[in-house]
Amino acid sequence: MSHGIPLHALSAPGRRLLDRRRFLSTASHALGSIAFASLLDRQRLLARDAASAASPFAPRRPHAVPRARNVIVLFCAGAVSQLETWDYKPALIAQDGKPLVGGPAVTFQGPAGELARPQYAFRPRGQTGKWVSDLIPHLAQLTDEIAFVHSLTSKSNTHGPAENFLSTGSVLDGFPSLGAWVTHALGTESQDLPAYVAIPDPRGVPQAGSNNWGPGFLPAVFQGTPMSASAPPRNLAPPEGIGRDADDATRRLLRGMNERHLAAHPDDDRLAARIASYELAARMQLSVPGIMDLSSEPAHVLRMYGVDDAQDPLKAAFARNCILARRLVERGVRFVQLFNGAYASGGELNWDGHNKLREQYDRHGRILDQPAAALLRDLKQRGLLQDTLVVWCTEFGRMPMFQKGSQGRDHNPDGFTCWLAGAGVRPGVSHGVTDDLGRRAIHDVATLYDFNATILHLLGLDHERLTFEHNGVRRRLTNVEGEVLRPLVA
Amino acid sequence: MSTWGHGVGGLPGILALAAGLVLEGMPAPAQAYEPYAPYEPHAAHVTPAPSRHWSFQPIQRPPTPTVQSPAWCRSPIDAFILARMEREGHAPAPRADATTWLRRVSLDLTGLPPTPETVQAFLADAAPGREARVVEALLASPAHGERWAQHWLDVVRYADTHGFEVNTERPNAWPYRDYVVRAVQEDLPYDRFVREQVCGDLIGADAATGFLVTASVLLPGQIGKDEPSIRLARQDAIDEIVVNVSQAFLGLSVGCARCHDHKFDPITQVDYYAMQGLVAGVEYEERELRGPDIDARRAEADAIRGRLARLLLERTRLVQPVNSPQPRVPVNGRLNVERIPPTRARQLRLTIRETNSLEPCIDELEAWTPDDINVAAATGGATVQSDGDTVDPGRHELRHLNDGQYGNARSWMSAHKGRGRVVVTFPREVTLDRILWGRDRLGQYDDRLATSYVVEVADDSGTWRVVASSDDRERFLAGTNASDPFATRGLPPDEARRASDLAAQKADLDRRLRAVDSGQRAFVGLFRKPDRIRLLRRGDPEQPREDVAPAVPAVLGALRLDRDAPDAARRRALADWLASPSNPLTARVMANRIWQGHFGTGLVPTPSDLGVNGVRPTHPELLDWLASELVSSGWSVRHLHRLIVLSATYAQSATRGNADAPGRPSPPSHLLARFPSHRLEAETLRDAMLHASGRLNHERHGPGFDLFDLRGGLSGFKPVESFGPQGRRRMIYAHKVRRERDAVFGAFDCPDAGQSTERRRESITPIQALNLFNGRFTSDEAHALAARVRGEAGPALESQVRRAWLLALSREPSPAEAAEAVAVAREHGLQPVCRALLNASEFVFLP
Repeated sequence: MSHGIPLHALSAPGRRLLDRRRFLSTASHALGSIAFASLLDRQRLLARDAASAASPFAPRRPHAVPRARNVIVLFCAGAVSQLETWDYKPALIAQDGKPLVGGPAVTFQGPAGELARPQYAFRPRGQTGKWVSDLIPHLAQLTDEIAFVHSLTSKSNTHGPAENFLSTGSVLDGFPSLGAWVTHALGTESQDLPAYVAIPDPRGVPQAGSNNWGPGFLPAVFQGTPMSASAPPRNLAPPEGIGRDADDATRRLLRGMNERHLAAHPDDDRLAARIASYELAARMQLSVPGIMDLSSEPAHVLRMYGVDDAQDPLKAAFARNCILARRLVERGVRFVQLFNGAYASGGELNWDGHNKLREQYDRHGRILDQPAAALLRDLKQRGLLQDTLVVWCTEFGRMPMFQKGSQGRDHNPDGFTCWLAGAGVRPGVSHGVTDDLGRRAIHDVATLYDFNATILHLLGLDHERLTFEHNGVRRRLTNVEGEVLRPLVA
Repeated sequence: MSTWGHGVGGLPGILALAAGLVLEGMPAPAQAYEPYAPYEPHAAHVTPAPSRHWSFQPIQRPPTPTVQSPAWCRSPIDAFILARMEREGHAPAPRADATTWLRRVSLDLTGLPPTPETVQAFLADAAPGREARVVEALLASPAHGERWAQHWLDVVRYADTHGFEVNTERPNAWPYRDYVVRAVQEDLPYDRFVREQVCGDLIGADAATGFLVTASVLLPGQIGKDEPSIRLARQDAIDEIVVNVSQAFLGLSVGCARCHDHKFDPITQVDYYAMQGLVAGVEYEERELRGPDIDARRAEADAIRGRLARLLLERTRLVQPVNSPQPRVPVNGRLNVERIPPTRARQLRLTIRETNSLEPCIDELEAWTPDDINVAAATGGATVQSDGDTVDPGRHELRHLNDGQYGNARSWMSAHKGRGRVVVTFPREVTLDRILWGRDRLGQYDDRLATSYVVEVADDSGTWRVVASSDDRERFLAGTNASDPFATRGLPPDEARRASDLAAQKADLDRRLRAVDSGQRAFVGLFRKPDRIRLLRRGDPEQPREDVAPAVPAVLGALRLDRDAPDAARRRALADWLASPSNPLTARVMANRIWQGHFGTGLVPTPSDLGVNGVRPTHPELLDWLASELVSSGWSVRHLHRLIVLSATYAQSATRGNADAPGRPSPPSHLLARFPSHRLEAETLRDAMLHASGRLNHERHGPGFDLFDLRGGLSGFKPVESFGPQGRRRMIYAHKVRRERDAVFGAFDCPDAGQSTERRRESITPIQALNLFNGRFTSDEAHALAARVRGEAGPALESQVRRAWLLALSREPSPAEAAEAVAVAREHGLQPVCRALLNASEFVFLP
């Protein structure tokens, strides 16, 4: 390459746009930020085209060569037990029914009971021989692709604040979510779709609700747009009773008014941005229904995800959300947050297994397992996993004891598992260790700051330099903490 | 000036950026992309001694600078602005035309555009001082309080839910919101406003302390049962108060010092925990309000109750008498009236022959004389006997029959199923004309009701005679308890009319009582013995270090209290210190917020950070002049409003037109060489739409209206699609659900009340376009505007279009605009034209 830039360091449009002539001819549509258009305008390089101006979503470069361009975060709400999934503790089998010596007498919900063995059988999987439970047999087949962190810790043992912490880096309300930070930093490749989509679970939203995809104090434009395969975004169609012709006439009238107003106020870039925002809105009216329509997916794909499971409509609905996630990434959406599990409900609607853990996890595992595994496989088959980082996370873990008088485990923020897969991730590694009983992290203890710093790193972003000034503080996703978990990075 | 392009590194940088080229070591995206920061990049200076930082120095009133073009100046403010403009070689923009100025100042001061009639009157007003007259009218209108209170509520992150993971309703937060609206409306001196919010409970403004507890908080049930969880939750709750006090009043971010000494400001961890000490006695609780205002309300409530009692007696004279030609209404569980001819009596006997269930129960038996004395009352010496009681001490006892207390919990219950008898003996023979009795006058119970009974009296001679019974009543039907004892049927016309009047008066008094009564509980904090405060290593409650005494940050003052000082002393000392004219920050911070409210950007563009890390003021002398003016005017915020909106700076056009020599770049926006137009805030946009359509409901104060089907909760909020009159009140009266943004206007950067919003962002997004163009709200108001216009402008499309323009944009359409609009209206009706108007940039931006 004569440019001296390695080709893999370029984003897809970057590759296309190396040809300058082609760049100038397509820039107005493909990129079109106000800054871009107005600067070009000032340099007399490009005739001003109001329609092309104005998008805060123009793709932007990160600090460093990115390993991943898009992210899918699979967020399992309610605190998945590490002991029933990824963190194999044979010692716990031996200790079943015995008290935890030196353990807490009272945990989040009340008095602690005795140690309880993992509720599912574990066996070694894949080339790495990673021990994973039978709760998630499909995902278990993919462990060779995955980089695990077993030693995560959280600052809160309460679902809402802990979800805030996982998603925004603060236990308090009102801070920007990871997806907002990422789209703020990087924009998006798709100019017809929202940059950041949050896909709520068919059972409901998680405990911290829209905080998980909120913009906090970043501009509202970076908020995740909530939509799922069964619930499209609002206001995509003209209001009832307004015909197509009247709608078009209104649009034309409005455009004329806005252009005249812009001409009278040439100093104000935002007026051009507004015109462009209506154009993009019109494009979204066309593109969003298209992407929601799964009828073009072949039958074998639907089967692979489990959409055809007539026995379990929740699983089928989650499977459709998984397909939607893939379609969004395929179309250049930067950040997709895919929720599995809703709010606290005694463990009925999410992974909060306080009471009847085994019985509830049987249900939740079935909903998660096949669709999520199919998503990873599908991304890989299509080559999308080269550019896409897949994050599996949960707000904290669970105690090795059952609660007194129950068949479930209480909250445990002192040692739990999340994982990464896909672009830039070193596959098949396990980082960090909890003690023999899985009570707390003891080696390579990691924080969610570290975990988020690592995600940003894979996107080419330096978590210490990705900042935003708010109320006198230069805020970061990682506060004043966080270190990239290097062993997870390929 | 373009607000884009700071630090982008010129065109090559932009091209690389735009093309998505990715190169190691390029500047951070936060530098490459700052479309929302139209001020100078972060101050890079390093102050050697932070205590010498400009905003910590005493405020000194600077002299007004001399300028080359004094004729342009209309206010001392203008000299400061013009001096800098001239120094940098620029001239002001031309003046905005009168209509533009009027629309600007109306939206700014009241959040509502002017009516066409106001515009017309303003243009026709030839007498000098018309601007000042308009400004006085705008400031005096209640809309002003509703508009500017919102700025403050943003800063204190006011909401009507508790936030966090359950986000349940905080049903009585609104008295604080109303307090702020009223404070603005009355131009409450700012020092007083500050004081009241910190210790209003001590100085007669109880609702004001809602300020202390505006944050999200974990409710007791959400906090873990383990000690560390409980300690952490309490620390978080106190931290929010410290952060609120320091950001809102002092413009300082002390929160960082919770975990470590502040990186920039001279605030140490000890300073931070010392501030915690000042508010460590505050709990997040709802309680009964106190104070003179509340006493007045209570007195009013008592007065209304007295009037209701007199009204009730009057009404008992206007029911159908016993033994009328028509049967009387059936008995009911609340109150039954026996209107009898005046009868002499020494004793009264009520015999119950049948009930709708179980043993009969009577909560009160009253016997009234023609001059309105209840001679059956125990307090007047009457005595009671019965033929047997079911006793539940304190609840069901014979004495409760005539103890003056209503309700099941203070009632008599017979010993016998389906029957019972009581006898009341008066101290002397009297004349009776009404006998009243009820099962449960509070209306909760309607079992155990006497459905068949007889009332007898005996005079001094001891002869019993029947005066009333159920025999002339219609039969009580099981399962119904709806009969109105005050039905007017069977009354002569004059009595019926009088009875209807009284019923209407009662309904009115009931409504007023509810209004007066309901404000008496409020989420304004509970004050108790302060927690012991210790410095926490890394902010971790599990790593406490030395005790810290309550104090203000050492760099700012010497206020320090004993460790055992009671809560009231702590908050009072804090309030006095904050509100002191010698506090260098309080007046500067507020003067700057006021400036920002008018121009969109403050003289310090980081209004909640005047610390070392904040941006330095663009016009430091002007800021100090305004701050000293604020103090010397008796802390009148309104005084500053007048100075600003009547200035020449404010009156400039939003575009520079031909003000710049050819080839010369426009002056940067912080020089204020033109009026910085900005997009309307979410609330103003919604209010302005309703105002244009003529459907704005001006009802003020009180509990908020609903934007969703739920008033709190975790999720599942269904937006209200189409609003009734309540939902067409001003948006500041919306029940504010934390983090759940309004389905249409939330996208217009409406804060979610999670953290303090020092300044509204102004994003422009396709979601806004979808909401405003396709949303039902716009559609409804466009229909209403079209209907209004048709009603006001007559049948000609041309005049309809003209009227629509005047209502929405305060101006006439140009001939081209009128032609286009008329063509659309002819083919598709007027609604699409109105829908376009409500979406127009001209409508959505402050001119």
